[in-house]
Amino acid sequence: MAEPPARIKEIEHTADLGCEITAVDLPALFAASGDALFALIADRQKVEMHNEVVVSAAGNGPEELLHAWLCELLAQFNINGFVAKSCAVDRLAADRVDGRIRGEKLDLARHAFHTEIKGVTYHDFKVWEEDGLWHARIIFDV
Amino acid sequence: MRTSLVFEEVKDELPRIVDTLFSLIPAGVGSEGAIPKLSMQDEKRLLRDGARWAVSEGYGRQEDLAFMEEEGRLLTADADLLSDRALERGLRQVGTLGSGNHFLEIGRVEEIYLPRAADTFELFPDQLVVLIHTGSRGLGYQICEDSLRVMNKAMAKYGISLPDRQLACTPIQSPEGQHYLASMAAAANYAWVNRQVIMSQAEKAFTRALNVSPKELGFSLVYDVCHNIAKFEDHVVDGEKRRLCVHRKGATRAFAPGHTQIPAAYREIGQPVLIPGDMGRYSYLLVGTETAMEKTFGSTCHGAGRVMSRTQSKKQSQNFNIDQEMARRGVVARYQGRGTMAEEMPHAYKDVADVVETMDLAGVSKRVARFRPVGVIKG
Repeated sequence: MAEPPARIKEIEHTADLGCEITAVDLPALFAASGDALFALIADRQKVEMHNEVVVSAAGNGPEELLHAWLCELLAQFNINGFVAKSCAVDRLAADRVDGRIRGEKLDLARHAFHTEIKGVTYHDFKVWEEDGLWHARIIFDV
Repeated sequence: MRTSLVFEEVKDELPRIVDTLFSLIPAGVGSEGAIPKLSMQDEKRLLRDGARWAVSEGYGRQEDLAFMEEEGRLLTADADLLSDRALERGLRQVGTLGSGNHFLEIGRVEEIYLPRAADTFELFPDQLVVLIHTGSRGLGYQICEDSLRVMNKAMAKYGISLPDRQLACTPIQSPEGQHYLASMAAAANYAWVNRQVIMSQAEKAFTRALNVSPKELGFSLVYDVCHNIAKFEDHVVDGEKRRLCVHRKGATRAFAPGHTQIPAAYREIGQPVLIPGDMGRYSYLLVGTETAMEKTFGSTCHGAGRVMSRTQSKKQSQNFNIDQEMARRGVVARYQGRGTMAEEMPHAYKDVADVVETMDLAGVSKRVARFRPVGVIKG
């Protein structure tokens, strides 16, 4: 039986943008968190998966690791203008994550841009397991 | 910035002016930039020299420097402390507005409260003015992120424990504190360069759209002031002069008449304070006071502040056409991201008139002029 898809819910925050992500396991949570990040930046409907970028991040424990992973993904946009249509995690250890993102460079003529995300804040940043599911709460600085 | 233009005489040209501004001043989202990608050497020079670098590269004029807080440069900046990622993020973003709550606004002088101060700042009724609200872009945020990582690890050795890791800190005199201050100063210098380049691009946009010479346009800087910076200043505490680190976050310096750090041309009147509004109702120019020196370490407000979350604002914006709503308010608006614009619509903000009136009544700054937005570009 196929795994249920991850859930991404936008949450209220006065000055920034926040999401709560729910997934069946940690790799799925990391992948879905990446998807949430890029979905806030641009409408990904017309983003083509022309390119693949390998991304790795290091950190101690799921929280630090998810934060580092998102920072690495965001750097792909902030430095190279890359918008991922899909994020995948290949390997997840206690202190390291390796994955791949597929997409293309933002083209303002073709893609509807939503908002620029400056960073992934530590404010209220949480990763937790509950009722057999993994959850993350993330506030992005815009 | 002030211009020699009178709103009534150029109002029909506003769409062309706004379009030209939009084409010459990118939001800088992703990797587009207003000026060619810098070399690392150039970037380090601008991080050291601030607005002076921009002037030396042909953006703006030497006389602008006198009308900037700290003359557009913090001498304590050390670009060598910045991470490769911070430098990389800064390479292409000079001269870009950014997204979020940053914008460029053309306003017309709608009301003058203090005629003498307005005269000193060379403002007159119905004049077109331009306000730029942006800062150190991704480079500044990366410095924040890099420093948070360092400080979160270091806090324990200073016996500091905080409920939120985003509030990480260390003592000012600690190696981590000193490292941060020198990095932050580099970000401040970057922000001055960014605004200086945008100002120069804005002048170019006006001359091009109206087919006038720079002299006819009369584009010049009224003042450039920060609202997110920590600096060492002398203040009187309990009757004694003390050297303090004043951190103004969402606050603006508002020094009283006579202060030596106010440009000579304005010294008798006080330091100008720029208050960007909500892009729909009004923005303000205030002036610093002695009360601010006594009560708020020479500080006043920065802007309106949000009354609604971004999510709420977006929901509310679904009920109308953004362009029509801005047009109804008399504003020609061009923007890159509909999402950001929906989050940043005037309804998401408090009425900035109430905020500046409160500051005025408290005496920490006085209203000089109110500007009505007539054109806006944003990321």
